[in-house]
Amino acid sequence: MPPAKVEARQSASGLDFKLHPLVVINISDHLLRIKANGLDRAQGSERVLGCLLGQQNGRVVDISNSFEIRYSMGSNGIEIDEAFLVKKQEQYKQTFASLDIVGWYATGKMLTNAEMAIHRKMSEHNESPVFLQLDPVFNPAQKDLPISLYESELHSMENVPSFVFVQANFSIETSEAERIGVNQVAKVLPSGKASGIEQLSAHMTSVHAALKMLQGRIQLVTAHLDRMARGTIPFDHALVRQISSTLQRFPAVETSQFQDDYLKDHNDALLTILLSSWINCTSAANEMVEKFNMAYDRSSRRKQMP
Amino acid sequence: MDAGPAQQRWELENGVQDVSNPDTYWKYDNAEQQAIQNQKPWAKDPHHFKSVRVSALALLKMAMHAKSGGNLEIMGLLQGKIMGDTFIVIDAFALPVEGTETRVNAQAEAYEYMIDFAETNKHAGRLENMVGWYHSHPGYGCWLSGIDVSTQSIQQQYQDPFLAIVVDPHRTIAAGKVEIGAFRTYPEGYSPPNEPASEYQTIPLSKIEDFGVHAKHYYSLDVTFFKSSMDEHLLGLLWNKYWVNTLSSSPLVNTRDLTSGQISDIAEKLEAVEGQMAQSGRMGRYPGAGFERRGRGGGGNAGDQQLHKIGVDAAKLATEQIKGISSQVVKDLLFNHRLLPQRQAPTLVQGPSDMESN
Repeated sequence: MPPAKVEARQSASGLDFKLHPLVVINISDHLLRIKANGLDRAQGSERVLGCLLGQQNGRVVDISNSFEIRYSMGSNGIEIDEAFLVKKQEQYKQTFASLDIVGWYATGKMLTNAEMAIHRKMSEHNESPVFLQLDPVFNPAQKDLPISLYESELHSMENVPSFVFVQANFSIETSEAERIGVNQVAKVLPSGKASGIEQLSAHMTSVHAALKMLQGRIQLVTAHLDRMARGTIPFDHALVRQISSTLQRFPAVETSQFQDDYLKDHNDALLTILLSSWINCTSAANEMVEKFNMAYDRSSRRKQMP
Repeated sequence: MDAGPAQQRWELENGVQDVSNPDTYWKYDNAEQQAIQNQKPWAKDPHHFKSVRVSALALLKMAMHAKSGGNLEIMGLLQGKIMGDTFIVIDAFALPVEGTETRVNAQAEAYEYMIDFAETNKHAGRLENMVGWYHSHPGYGCWLSGIDVSTQSIQQQYQDPFLAIVVDPHRTIAAGKVEIGAFRTYPEGYSPPNEPASEYQTIPLSKIEDFGVHAKHYYSLDVTFFKSSMDEHLLGLLWNKYWVNTLSSSPLVNTRDLTSGQISDIAEKLEAVEGQMAQSGRMGRYPGAGFERRGRGGGGNAGDQQLHKIGVDAAKLATEQIKGISSQVVKDLLFNHRLLPQRQAPTLVQGPSDMESN
């Protein structure tokens, strides 16, 4: 192995991966499309491959988009259509100039030498690509996303340096527009035409769901602590320290500056609401006056006319 | 002629059945699409297409692309197919075009890119045809401007079936749902029957003329969304990870620009109406010819109507504010309040005091 790769490994360690839901949906779409149209037979396997696009900012890698890769089953296993990949990359570069190839994805369950071979190949496009594996066989009992992220690391095995996959941590990140989109499709509001009140109740429902989730998590933690206190499970000092430091952070912001700003913001919003109801009142009053005028004018003219 | 409606009905009923299993939307049958292409049922009836079904993927892509453009208009193309009187939009992709207000227009290089992209898409197993285009109207609602109408009608002449989708990224954030509209233009010289007035939407004063002039040249289609069984599964699991985002988002802070823009727009509209009302009011006082002519059909009532419309705008703004402020208040209560364990009996607040003591 050339020493350059070793350096890449060092810089890659400790990276924080942020995965956008769009990528997950994109892979799901890709898989489904290949299956539905019977293209899995054409390429010799129902596995799908693709590139992950994103941005690296310091130690944070933001994976926000993806595109598919063409491949065929050759005598040496999977052969990627390199020309296609380069072309696709150029096309995405034109529309999303800030996105680079940060890794690749595939469906599957196991890490094999085939994956490692593709991973090496992808290293030509990014020094330290990340590999996202999605398990297409869903287990209904599973509570977590069937997704794992891997980085490669160079390890010395029996004095022979070789690459191995190491699992990387990732979190789900959404942009504002994406969050709204996901929320909308996840629940699938019947159409995009929800009126004011429906919107409000939808908003409240989603906040409620989030709060319930939060409560669930807190209950989990307290139950765990409870069991620890009773001694049914071993006492985990690191965990307790973590919980304690989290709790120390509350209240989150406690400065007079924040209180002022918060109050101002609150009042601004209330003022807007007041303004809106004034306008509606004026409108109603005006309508009333108009109707009254109409009736009054009619009757007064009828008296003159006969 | 009898076969037409019957077939349509059959397709419609089939379409309804398919809702239970949207996965079939991904299956592309070239022969079937060619047959529809040859029949051209939309050529006979300008109102042929009635609804659009947008995949979760396309919706996300459009919403994100529109947001990334900021105050600039962006555009892209839609891929999908036709099912009876419904457009199925499977996927969307962006074009390297950016424009300013209502001037989005695909230039030569964009066409080149379009063809190139479509070509590579076919290689990647995306067999669907282009069925339309989308663009964004940052902050001024989903409708077609004059230029959009002419672009769309050209496309409908040469590339029918074709669909126009408009997304408003700013209002999406404010409303907490993707603001999206789908449109088709009428052929030239066709005057639409008196259709029920489409749902009223807020349009800034500066754009109202552009909107009013062309509003009769197109109609909007019903937009619904669908997701595959796999999407559903993944989205369900995704929620376990990203519910935090619902709490951490702050719609009030993110849409400050839009809110102040809307308030000043309401102020401008109010001023305009005030002028109008004062005029018609003066006439109303003299029950002469002027009142008879204008009072019922024109001046006064138009002023009323406009005032009513401003009321709708303001109510919408207020709803958004209520939403924003309610999540702020919830967050403040949750994370910013000191628990007072001394004053409260520990039995009353079981959960929090447990945490504190541990």
